[in-house]
Amino acid sequence: MHARRWVVALVALGALAFVGAAPRLLSAFMVQFVINLFMLAILAESWNIIGGFTGYASFGNVAFFGLGAYTTGILMTKVALPLPVALAGATVVPMLFAAAIGLPILRLKGHYFAIATLGVAETVREVVYNVELTGAGTGLVMPIARTPALFFYLMLAILVAVTLVNGWLARSRFGYGLVAIREDEDAAAAMGIDTARYKTIAFAISGAFAGITGGVFAYWITFIDPDAVFRVIITIQMIIMAVFGGAGTVVGPLLGALVLASVSEVLSTQLVALAELFNGLIVILVVLFMPKGLLEVLKAGRGSFRVMTRNLREYRV
Amino acid sequence: MSVAILSAHGVTKKFGGLAAVADVTFDLHEGEILGLIGPNGSGKTTLVNVVTGTLPASAGEVRLGNRTLTGLPSHEIGRLGVSRTFQVVKPFRNLTVVENVMIGALFGAGGGMREVRAARRQAEDVLAFVALDHRREAPADALNVPERKRMELARALAMRPRVLLLDEVMAGLNPAEIDAAVELIKGIRQRGITLLVIEHVMKAIRNLSDRILVLFHGQKLTEGVPTDVLNDQRVVAAYLGRRYAEAARA
Repeated sequence: MHARRWVVALVALGALAFVGAAPRLLSAFMVQFVINLFMLAILAESWNIIGGFTGYASFGNVAFFGLGAYTTGILMTKVALPLPVALAGATVVPMLFAAAIGLPILRLKGHYFAIATLGVAETVREVVYNVELTGAGTGLVMPIARTPALFFYLMLAILVAVTLVNGWLARSRFGYGLVAIREDEDAAAAMGIDTARYKTIAFAISGAFAGITGGVFAYWITFIDPDAVFRVIITIQMIIMAVFGGAGTVVGPLLGALVLASVSEVLSTQLVALAELFNGLIVILVVLFMPKGLLEVLKAGRGSFRVMTRNLREYRV
Repeated sequence: MSVAILSAHGVTKKFGGLAAVADVTFDLHEGEILGLIGPNGSGKTTLVNVVTGTLPASAGEVRLGNRTLTGLPSHEIGRLGVSRTFQVVKPFRNLTVVENVMIGALFGAGGGMREVRAARRQAEDVLAFVALDHRREAPADALNVPERKRMELARALAMRPRVLLLDEVMAGLNPAEIDAAVELIKGIRQRGITLLVIEHVMKAIRNLSDRILVLFHGQKLTEGVPTDVLNDQRVVAAYLGRRYAEAARA
């Protein structure tokens, strides 16, 4: 038992040392890939708070990402504030926006909620397109930072934070409240859960993480326009990664981001034609074989094949 | 004994032009078991939905002690100490039995417990009380009908209510299971909880109830002790039709 604890400590120390040295050890290309991977993992985990734990499948979380990106852009270029302040703004503005739109649209359920969130995100994009402050269609050019390590550590720090929040949800009173809402909202309310308040807070936390990530992204790529930071595909990626790995679990979205980002990276360099079909293919496979995500299948170990055939039968395909 | 813990005055619930519950007034006395019966569609479940805030009332008032419940959202009514079960049980399917019950303890009356671990212990106690502790780690989805009914009851009990409204917890049970459920409900009353029990099983309702309230077409038909109410010609007619009631009398 003692020996095992030492091994764990050594492995953790090794991992920490590797992470510390990673931006120097890895090739420039790999560093960019890992930063992108961290970002996708954050977005999947942040979507998981509202979509996975609370069961409200938002199709508009890119709005928070984009608002975060633009808040950072405006604060750094028009007001010339330092990065930390800009990122604080990129957290707070999308969070408040999520709470404000959440109050009315979280009354909708299922498809209606999905469509409403999609509509909100598109509306925000159109507004940004037509406002002077945001540079309208031409976008914003940010000051250039030549330190990939900064983005590596920023993204990593946010990823750790959002994962810890998900871990807390999985075992806390607040998290159980959200899960109860997902499982049966009428029963949750009858049991004394203030469902409107809980859903709104979950949506706001989800928006805050997507927002700050958008802020880091804006500074990282140095140029943002509405098409870059309000693309629907960014929401779709969050959802597919979270669901592929296992929505409503802590590790699932991380796993989904890791697997899908890696595969799609390989495809986009080797098999461009297939890369286009990739997301659609993943959706079909997930729905058929593992609606609860990859995590469930992996946990079954040797029985994983049986789990998949059982899923196929149970969901009456 | 005759202090009203919960009272309804002129409670009405309309769906469009149809009054599912029309001008119903009753008192629930502290410590009693009040049976609520009536043919299918007479408005029993709607009445419970209105009392617990699951549906808003169209008119009338419900009070708990001197607090007005009408107009409060259902989670606040739950926090004030009024718990219910659902006729069509609503388990949290992807959670275990003990987690289902634990959520009742985490929220419930007075806002519930802050500590997940303490809530789990409370849930285990309640599961032992309803004789479901052997299934506590099972997924809720794996329970059979009587077990689901017991879990639904356990969730409501874990909320530590003062008033418990049971909506057909015996439907789908066999006679032996019904006897066990009757004993269980009597045990709940022993714990100082006031009960309103909707049930179709007449033998059970006669055994359990101190008083019975009869609804018919959304209106209160009569109210009283079981022997009087169940022999009332109007009640027999409501259940079996007027011709049968007249034939039985002749």
